[in-house]
Amino acid sequence: MSFLSEVQLEEKFGPFVGFQEALGFVPNLLRAQTLLPRLVEAQTKLETAVRIHEGAISRVQKERIFLRVAADRQDLYCAGMDSKVLSSLGVSDRQVQALLNDQRLEDLSAADATSLEFCLKLSRNGPSVSVEDIKALRECGFEDESILETVIVTALAVYRCTLSMGLGPEPDFGTPKLTSMSVSPPPGVGLRGLLSDAHDATQRKGPYVSAPYLSPKAFAPFAILEKSHGFIPNFFRAQTLRPDLLEAEAEAVARILLPEDVLTRVQKECILLAVSAANLNSYCVAMHCNLLRGLGMPSEEGDQIAVDHHQSGLSEADKGLLDFAVKLGARVSDFSRADIVNLKTLGFAEEQILECVAVTALNNFANTLQMGLGIEPDFEPPPAFQNKAHLPNAANRPTETGRIIAGPGAVQDPDAGLVAEAQGGRLEAFEELARRHSQLIYRALAAILGNQADAQDAMQDTLLSAFKHIGEFQGRSKFSTWLVSIARNKALQRLRDRKNDESLDQDEYEEDRGFRPRQVRAWQDNPEQCYSKFEIRQLVERGILGLPAKYRVVVMLRDIEQLSTDEVARQLGLSVPAVKVRLLRGRLMLREWLSPYFTTSIKRAAQ
Amino acid sequence: MITCEEFFTEFADYLENQVSPEVRTELELHLSQCRACHVLYDSTHKTVKIVTESASFELPQSVCDPIIDRVMAKLRTEGHGLPLR
Repeated sequence: MSFLSEVQLEEKFGPFVGFQEALGFVPNLLRAQTLLPRLVEAQTKLETAVRIHEGAISRVQKERIFLRVAADRQDLYCAGMDSKVLSSLGVSDRQVQALLNDQRLEDLSAADATSLEFCLKLSRNGPSVSVEDIKALRECGFEDESILETVIVTALAVYRCTLSMGLGPEPDFGTPKLTSMSVSPPPGVGLRGLLSDAHDATQRKGPYVSAPYLSPKAFAPFAILEKSHGFIPNFFRAQTLRPDLLEAEAEAVARILLPEDVLTRVQKECILLAVSAANLNSYCVAMHCNLLRGLGMPSEEGDQIAVDHHQSGLSEADKGLLDFAVKLGARVSDFSRADIVNLKTLGFAEEQILECVAVTALNNFANTLQMGLGIEPDFEPPPAFQNKAHLPNAANRPTETGRIIAGPGAVQDPDAGLVAEAQGGRLEAFEELARRHSQLIYRALAAILGNQADAQDAMQDTLLSAFKHIGEFQGRSKFSTWLVSIARNKALQRLRDRKNDESLDQDEYEEDRGFRPRQVRAWQDNPEQCYSKFEIRQLVERGILGLPAKYRVVVMLRDIEQLSTDEVARQLGLSVPAVKVRLLRGRLMLREWLSPYFTTSIKRAAQ
Repeated sequence: MITCEEFFTEFADYLENQVSPEVRTELELHLSQCRACHVLYDSTHKTVKIVTESASFELPQSVCDPIIDRVMAKLRTEGHGLPLR
């Protein structure tokens, strides 16, 4: 028996038939997930595409990676199954034993040995993988597609091990003996010894392999992603060399993450965020912070989960759920059956625990894949998390339990000193802050109110309110972000008093999809030279004030105040994709507005 | 070659210079052959440039200073005490 109940499914259940045909047996790892058959399907989709189908590297090469990673993680269940499969493919017992026990493999080619070394490094310590490792693979004759496949196979190996550690299935064929247990480094992508490597987890390194353009029109999974998320993450774009594998990943995601019948979307995103943070994967941290914001979670709360979920406002049960997932996903040597019992005590049902294990496994698949391909970030990770990952000083070292503790001043803020003085009651410090940020406050107010005179009026209210409440500012966000949030509230209050029904929050994915610009005449070469600076400024101000509020605010903060897209999203509590949609729409509207002034004259165009 | 619709899907990221080299190549090939998209890109790019360089909504010092002065005067005379902790 595994840790959780199993359900008897008929042997004709599609995935079982598939495994029976491909391997000659149905692994107990799959039976351990029968409480939620969609999870069995998810794993089957991945295994069929990544493991069974012939690709750029051979079946034996893939199984060697599985076995080596499982043995290195001291996962006796997977190591047992994988030894058996390798033997059935005609690999000698001697080689199987060598793979199990980390011995030199004389009968292995240099290319295979280099590849196995790479896979182990990726599995043990993903953030340490660099372009040098990819170079070593290329020198052995690996090309883009075989590198891509090697990385995905390693990610799948990590996925299976995470499942097996979390579910404790009965061995399929007895357990192998691992003689090198004491020699091997501790398994898992855990934090130990990782920060001391002095590598830079937030540094951009990749992408390592080429990725041809793949149109959402021609590739259904991209069209679906675009509809559900409003964009296609680089995570998927980076794998376009192999649409078949992408498709399997999309199927797995659809079965593990999208259903809401067991754990909620928010709970799952929190798991993905907390475990990615523990694995120091800044790409995935930024992604899930954004997705959580899109699900309505305030940005400070998401940032807090990334740094230390114990300090967040989550319920005690959900904190326990994240403790469980972080242990399984990043400190697996500490994980045991007792952790399952603990979750049950907190009130979680077996289905929920099973799904949490699967989400954690999928997370580790994604973390491994991202680091192995050096996929470039879609979004900035939260500043507080960046500081953690950047500065391996004593304060940021994992504690004995491997946890990162949020220190005071987690966000680096140039205003911090003045804020502390103002909080102590020094009015001059507050005055300096007010002058420093007056333009920002004014622009935020003008953007929401759509009127410069009202903005000047509201400025006084905003500053008085900011001073009154400055003692409540805790430094979880930048001070300027906090000021804008006060300005926003003041302006929205005024809008309500005016009974203005302009909405800042309405969702626009759908309605914007069909938007097409109408003005198609070409513009002059140096359009701005035809008017005085004063005239241009008046044109732009009138254009911006004429935009609907939700576009006006985004254009004002991004193009006038020139904050980054990420910063704008934080200030407004929106996801980055939502900001991008509004920004483009706003810019296109301004373009329509400015066009009559800047197009080439009909006479010139006819020449 | 990609279609105009596909071009438009990537347009926001292209304007922000946030597309991969492979996607950029596709988009630029499209731009070199499609006049409508070229006009759209060129004029939107110029719009962003004009807007960002316009120094719009700059609150003149002569308006800003009195507002802050009024706020500070109010805080000083009303005996704010120590702010709430």
